[in-house]
Amino acid sequence: MSASEPLRVGPLMKQIESDVRSQIRRRLVKHGMPAYEDEQIFERVRALLQHAADGRDLDVLLLPELLDDDVEWELDPNLTLSSHRPATGGAILFAKRKILLPLTRWLFEYSQSNFRRQQRLNQILLACIEELAVENARLRKDVDALQK
Amino acid sequence: MKLACVVHRFGADIAGGSEGHCRLIAEHLAASHDVTIVTTTAHDHVTWANHYSAGESRIGSVAVVRFPVERQRDLLRFREISDRVFSDRASASEEEQWFRENGPFAPALLDYLKQHAREFDLVLFWSYRYYGAYFGLPIAADRAVLLPTAEEDPLIHVDALTRYFALPRGYLFLTPEEEALVADRTPRNTPRQVIGCGLDPAQPADRSKLTALGIADPYILYLGRIDPNKGCDRLLRYFLRYSENRANPANPANPLNLVLAGPENMPIPEHPLIRRLGFVDGATRDALLANARVLVMPSPYESLSMVLLEAWNHGTAALVNARCAVLKGQVLRADGGLYYQSAMEFAGALDYLLDNREAAAQLGAQGRAYVDREYRWPTVMAKIETLFAEITRQYRSARNPA
Repeated sequence: MSASEPLRVGPLMKQIESDVRSQIRRRLVKHGMPAYEDEQIFERVRALLQHAADGRDLDVLLLPELLDDDVEWELDPNLTLSSHRPATGGAILFAKRKILLPLTRWLFEYSQSNFRRQQRLNQILLACIEELAVENARLRKDVDALQK
Repeated sequence: MKLACVVHRFGADIAGGSEGHCRLIAEHLAASHDVTIVTTTAHDHVTWANHYSAGESRIGSVAVVRFPVERQRDLLRFREISDRVFSDRASASEEEQWFRENGPFAPALLDYLKQHAREFDLVLFWSYRYYGAYFGLPIAADRAVLLPTAEEDPLIHVDALTRYFALPRGYLFLTPEEEALVADRTPRNTPRQVIGCGLDPAQPADRSKLTALGIADPYILYLGRIDPNKGCDRLLRYFLRYSENRANPANPANPLNLVLAGPENMPIPEHPLIRRLGFVDGATRDALLANARVLVMPSPYESLSMVLLEAWNHGTAALVNARCAVLKGQVLRADGGLYYQSAMEFAGALDYLLDNREAAAQLGAQGRAYVDREYRWPTVMAKIETLFAEITRQYRSARNPA
């Protein structure tokens, strides 16, 4: 490479990304995923899952729309403190906020962080299922057209 | 011109990105304009606890007027409302409440703008996410210039911003990616410039600073606040995994170190290959940047990475988180480094940069050439003056239609 010749990051990264994908594929094949011996199959699976995980808005999915009540299945990592007692409710809430919560904060934050991770994973899995359902619907449409 | 710069914190010892950006721009504007900083007494970016004295003062070439923070940030309440707002379950009033909870809550700053905004030709607001910019800009909308410092985070999509982003008379963006995030909610004819930030050419770094700290080649550098929100937890995981898998067989006594320089906001594992320096002075910072094999920027959210520009200013190549469109865009425009999306890509890119020293040096040099083209002060200030002239022209033609 001459000093005057620019080194382009785009093509360089394509090569590095391709090498990494190739390493992953070889490792998976070696550890018992023979389907990935076919590079094209691996690449299609990877692209589909990658799109589900990264390439789309995880808040825009069909399956949650079909579930009856979106609050029932969705994790709620927040702790909402309340009391149903009209007279003593204020004092109870004060005690919960100022005494109980500080005492248990470490446990609360540990759980909250794990709930958040689980919620993100759930969303990604829902997105993966939807990507596969879309792919399946496309293939079925093509097969139907060929059968006619 | 008489200019006001509204920013949530201000001080020479404040390391934050938008606050530092405001300070640098204001100091350069003061060479040809009358500049007043309108800010709060806060120093701590988490609690906003009062630290500086309220009232008027002078720092260098700029006048400063500070207003007290009336309520510190309640982190639990802030997190709760953030969850509602970011998951698109919030009402309009809850969205507005988010900006109050984010703070720094200084109603007197808004009162000042109500009384004095008309005394300024233009009022520049930094960072739409903070109380002073969010509630202050509508008060001075007829003369407001917004530097949104917007990032691709969940906040940028809230409905309240559609109305807000239509208000300013002009925009100064830090990168084309930031402009793209905001532009579709701004009137088409609103004047705008993408300015980034200016840098002076780097001076030769004093290597003895590193010797004094016991830092030797090879090391990769993270410079900035060490915080999970900056992607540092992932960086530590990736680096530890990398060093477990890649002992240096050629020279096992001289393994690659990760040097972390900046205030710590998270636990950092004790590890012989991880060096923690805390806050470092300017000369040490320059020495670290100039001698690092690679600067690593793991942040998923950035509107502009000043540290990246500083590394290129020293001719050092970068390795950045590709999930941040701004960082990836900067690296691609500059041809100044590589990027990664996963631990394996981190390892692959780092291997390339460490194993191909000539190529890494060339990427660093290309980064420096990019800084020369885009980010020298005369270039940046000329763009700002162009924006001011365009706003003035529009204002005059609106008042005196032909």
